[in-house]
Amino acid sequence: MAGTPETTTALVVLLLPLLGFAVLYLFGKRIPRQGDWLGISFTGLAFILSVWLFAQTWNTATYHTRTTWFSIPSSIVSDFTAGILLDNLTVLMLVIVTFISMLVQLFSIGYMHGDKGYYRYFAYLGLFTFSMLGIVLVDNLLLLFMFWELVGFSSYLLIGFWYHKPAAIAANKKAFLVNRVGDIGLLLGLFAFYTYFRTFDLEALRALISTGNWTGNGFALGYTLNNQPWLLELSPVFLTFAGLGLFMGCVGKSAQFPLQVWLPDAMQGPTPVSSLIHAATMVAAGVYLVARCYAFFTPDALTVIAIVGAITALIGALAALKQYDIKAVLAFSTISQLGYMVMGMGTGAYDASLFHLTTHAFFKAALFLNAGIIIHAMHRGLHHMHHLGNVDAQDIRNMGGLRKTMPVTFYTYLVAAAALAGIPLTSGFLSKDAILSVAWAWAQTMSANGNSLYFIVPVIGFVVVVLTAYYMTRHMWFMFFGSFRTPFDVHQIRLSHKQETERVMLLPVILLAILSLGIFFSLNPLSFSGSWVVSGISLKNYSITLLADNLVQAVRLQDDANHWPHIVIGILSALLAATGIAIALIKYNRRTSEELLQERPTGAFAKLSYNHFYLDQLYNYTLVKPTLLLSRGLYRVDKRVIDYTLNYGSKWLVVFSKIIGWFDRLVVDGTVWLIGALAKFLGRFGRGLQNGKVQSYYAYSLFGFILIILYIVLF
Amino acid sequence: MNDFILSGLIFSPLLAALVLLLIPNRLQQPIRVVALSGTVVQLILAILLYFRFDGAAFANGHTGYQFVEKLNWIGFSLGSLGRLQIDYFVGVDGISIGLVLLTGIIGVIGVISSWTITKTVKGYFLLYLLLMTSVMGCFLALDFFLFYLFFEFMLLPMYFLIGIWGGPKREYAAIKFFIYTLVGSLFILVVMIGLYTSVIDPVATAAYLELLPNGVASQEAVLQVQQMLQQNVISGSELVRTFNIPAMMEPANYIPGSLLHVLSGSVLWDLPLRFIAFLLLFAGFAIKVPSVPVHTWLPDAHVEAPTPISVLLAAILLKVGGYGLIRIVYPIFPDAGAYFSILVGGLGVLSIIYGALCALAMNDLKKLIAYSSVSHMGFVLLGLASLTVEGVNGAVYMMFSHGIISAMLFLVVGVIYDRSHNRMILNFRGLASRMPAYTSFVVIAFFASLGLPGFSGFISELMVLLGGFSAPDVTGMLPRWMTVVAVVGLLLSAAYYLWALQRMFFGKYWIFPELREKANIADLTTREYLMLVPLAILTLLFGIFPHLLLDKMGVAVTGFTELVLQNGQEQLNMVLSTIIR
Repeated sequence: MAGTPETTTALVVLLLPLLGFAVLYLFGKRIPRQGDWLGISFTGLAFILSVWLFAQTWNTATYHTRTTWFSIPSSIVSDFTAGILLDNLTVLMLVIVTFISMLVQLFSIGYMHGDKGYYRYFAYLGLFTFSMLGIVLVDNLLLLFMFWELVGFSSYLLIGFWYHKPAAIAANKKAFLVNRVGDIGLLLGLFAFYTYFRTFDLEALRALISTGNWTGNGFALGYTLNNQPWLLELSPVFLTFAGLGLFMGCVGKSAQFPLQVWLPDAMQGPTPVSSLIHAATMVAAGVYLVARCYAFFTPDALTVIAIVGAITALIGALAALKQYDIKAVLAFSTISQLGYMVMGMGTGAYDASLFHLTTHAFFKAALFLNAGIIIHAMHRGLHHMHHLGNVDAQDIRNMGGLRKTMPVTFYTYLVAAAALAGIPLTSGFLSKDAILSVAWAWAQTMSANGNSLYFIVPVIGFVVVVLTAYYMTRHMWFMFFGSFRTPFDVHQIRLSHKQETERVMLLPVILLAILSLGIFFSLNPLSFSGSWVVSGISLKNYSITLLADNLVQAVRLQDDANHWPHIVIGILSALLAATGIAIALIKYNRRTSEELLQERPTGAFAKLSYNHFYLDQLYNYTLVKPTLLLSRGLYRVDKRVIDYTLNYGSKWLVVFSKIIGWFDRLVVDGTVWLIGALAKFLGRFGRGLQNGKVQSYYAYSLFGFILIILYIVLF
Repeated sequence: MNDFILSGLIFSPLLAALVLLLIPNRLQQPIRVVALSGTVVQLILAILLYFRFDGAAFANGHTGYQFVEKLNWIGFSLGSLGRLQIDYFVGVDGISIGLVLLTGIIGVIGVISSWTITKTVKGYFLLYLLLMTSVMGCFLALDFFLFYLFFEFMLLPMYFLIGIWGGPKREYAAIKFFIYTLVGSLFILVVMIGLYTSVIDPVATAAYLELLPNGVASQEAVLQVQQMLQQNVISGSELVRTFNIPAMMEPANYIPGSLLHVLSGSVLWDLPLRFIAFLLLFAGFAIKVPSVPVHTWLPDAHVEAPTPISVLLAAILLKVGGYGLIRIVYPIFPDAGAYFSILVGGLGVLSIIYGALCALAMNDLKKLIAYSSVSHMGFVLLGLASLTVEGVNGAVYMMFSHGIISAMLFLVVGVIYDRSHNRMILNFRGLASRMPAYTSFVVIAFFASLGLPGFSGFISELMVLLGGFSAPDVTGMLPRWMTVVAVVGLLLSAAYYLWALQRMFFGKYWIFPELREKANIADLTTREYLMLVPLAILTLLFGIFPHLLLDKMGVAVTGFTELVLQNGQEQLNMVLSTIIR
């Protein structure tokens, strides 16, 4: 029970934001400044402690404290434990989450200023940070699932923060439900592992996997639980499905195909929320989950993961091409980048994928916060112009020329966008390059038997590089170049003459943009191989045996052997990015303001891209509507079949009882009456005989005597 | 050591009811106070019991009962048929402790919720207190006859509470409720009589045969009697027949050749009579649970009942069904339980999905919640049918947790109904902006009910599904697809709750024009806080610290499950062997 100072500190880090939530939610209104400073200082403290934990743990030691949470007394059930596991991956995520959460809260002081639910907003952010830290810190899959759901819940609250907006409350419902679809898979995956391994503890599960080995029919292992031996032989198909169940969780939360439809809608939340939750941290939780469970995926499962990731990367990038909402572009690019990470996981690029998660967190947070600054500024401008009620402040067609009006925003945006597009010297270049290299090695390994279809996956990766560079250039062109296209003075969007926007909003953006540079992640900013992040989270540091050990090892060997391909891939991806930029520039730099303002998705492809391939409509018609129809139908069954039968039955019962009543009255009562009447008749008859005349009596007795004689004679 | 705490629990509301009789009808406030104190006493006793209850005590089958009170109640000789014996036999074990606590809590909450009742207050609270006595009696009775008495007696106050204080269609709903449940209890009665003709009380028989040297019951004497019984050396007139439930759980107490003896070979409609008895009992309790397709009384009863009665109905009366299955049906007929696990589990899954889909179609908030109860009680059946320790623990936990959460849900509906005399979802929009505190509690209640981790509902659903999923490998019950289908219920429950939230509580504030004049949309009152806050805290408490309850019930429930499973397999083989022959 008693933890090490490190795990106890981690517990404090976990609980600080929760405390912030409780205090702010209950008393926020009464605290000066509605308690924003409280929330920020709690998160800031958590960040400082996280940095200390990072220093204690990174590449030095692993800390694990575990305690019994609850137990079911039975010989075949092990205790349900709860614990904190600190390793390199954990502390890295810890720092990222607390750091970005802190910056986002700082930013929100400016962005949410004057909002009616100001304290509620900071409270929810605290709840979210708590849940996210929970996912990162816990040592077992059940607790991870619990925090996973809580993250979904806090995301629900934050997307629907402006609950009077119909679009926001439709979006948060959709996000929660789509995520639940994934969670169902995750839950079933957990059940599958629990059924055979009788534990949810990650380290215990990994240890169990290491003791087993592949035989002809499947994966065999044995262990003892409460002195009872358990011998298992699990079929590869079962393990693949169990692993894919876990992966379903990632598909939901990390917005992978086919469940990515919720993420674009989630942009209805306040923009800092989009930055923190729907770009930097929560959506990365799916990738983190896959990393945590990496030992439990079979080679087949990993292949599916790689393909899903590639499809997602492509679809996200294609959809981003024709978006006009400033946040929609970023949302689709998030989907696309998450696809990269998942593809990396599937192809064995475990460390590269997590590296991309790290770099993406910074540059995507920077992009979204910048978008927030621009939206905020546009609103400020529109506020002066009352008659322009229907101008969409988020539509990039209404912007333009902001480079000169908002230079700091422009340059920070530029750095972050360059990182997203994978321009050399930025962090994004390094991590993307790393993923693509391993993906290439993976394709080489997988197609060793002659099936070169596997190369499609890395090729998609390269195509997406071009697309990414293209849509980001287009995006920036619309916003920052040319001239301002809404009919009011562009200077009105500035906070004041001297300042483009609130300092408290600029500071986080500048910090994040600086951290998007490659130099912070690798001393050689042109090559990922020297990156301290990659070497710190590499699988080599763990003595873990994977279900897909053979494959992952083979890919690693192949990757190590690929000297030339590495250089070629690096140069190629830089060139491809440059191509994308060039295409966008050629296409757009001749356009006039009017053309840009009037641009609409016209062609078939443009409409497909703009409408996200009509996936929403598809799901609506194939899943949502039929379910609702079914539910109404079943309710009719209740009313028309079950109740109808009962009511009719009871009516017939009444009819039947009426018949019984009739029977009772006529037959039963009638018989009794008849007997009575007969007796009465006989009595009358008998009385009639007693008439007191001797002659009559004589005649009766003679008649009787004759009858007796007749009887004797005849019988 | 015996201080009659259980009798205190059962009869404290009755005592309050007697006091109530002495107060004239016009003194409404004193009447309420007396009713409140009756239930508060019950709650205090329940809490005391909870703390004094030793969760670790369990040896086998039926020695885990604590605070047992056993009094000879009715007993007379039946001549050559032996002796009839009915005991006042009450006790508490891990299975009932949670429900006793729940009954105590909900009883008090219900009285607070009834504070606004003004129509014949005295009659209302009299019936209310009678109901509390009979429900508590149900959970504590260990004699089938006593159980049945309390079980039947619940109908009477409930019938009037719905039929007099209910909504517009109250008479239809009350009669429907009454007849449904009555039909169910007739099934139970038939089996009860069948059991009575088949089972003896070994201790009492030993006493009758003067096998107890100093009048103290001993294990040897019991074994001796059971042996003699099975060898058919006790004459019929010396048998002490009993309604004792623990005695019914032991196959050795069945009279050889009697209808329900494991080896009797008696068959009806090609099924062993024991299976028929199981099905009858199951049907009787399934109506109470309620399970699809015998659930249609529930939405009507809920919709028509006044808020506090809905709370009682959902929170504790439904639990009597599940409790009956666990306390009576499965342990007495474990063989049939194992044989029909697919039927029970299947009905559970059907209830989960069917109830959830119906809830999705509802426009009446109260009906939506009523159907969600159907859906959630399906988990109890599923967990029970799995016969895994996780599953059954989950089922018992679900009964407790659903009690707390459904009480909250119905109270929440009552709040809006109080203010507008309407609860159609489409008549309201954006209530959050007028009633922020209320909306917070709605969100808590809805998310607790849809199984958000941190709330007690999650623990129970998790364990039931865990048990169900592992059942094919661990106990050989239930095909795996059933649990996979049941998990979809989690998605559906999220769907109907979130949709209701979206339509009714969020968006721009609007209410249906005709309601506007009458409605007084104000946020929660102190009285409502007084009910909702404790329930919210409880569901969080039992969601974060499940050991608070599991430590009390775990040993008993687990032992119970393993016993049922083991006896079930053995007896099933015996039953089937007699038939094949």
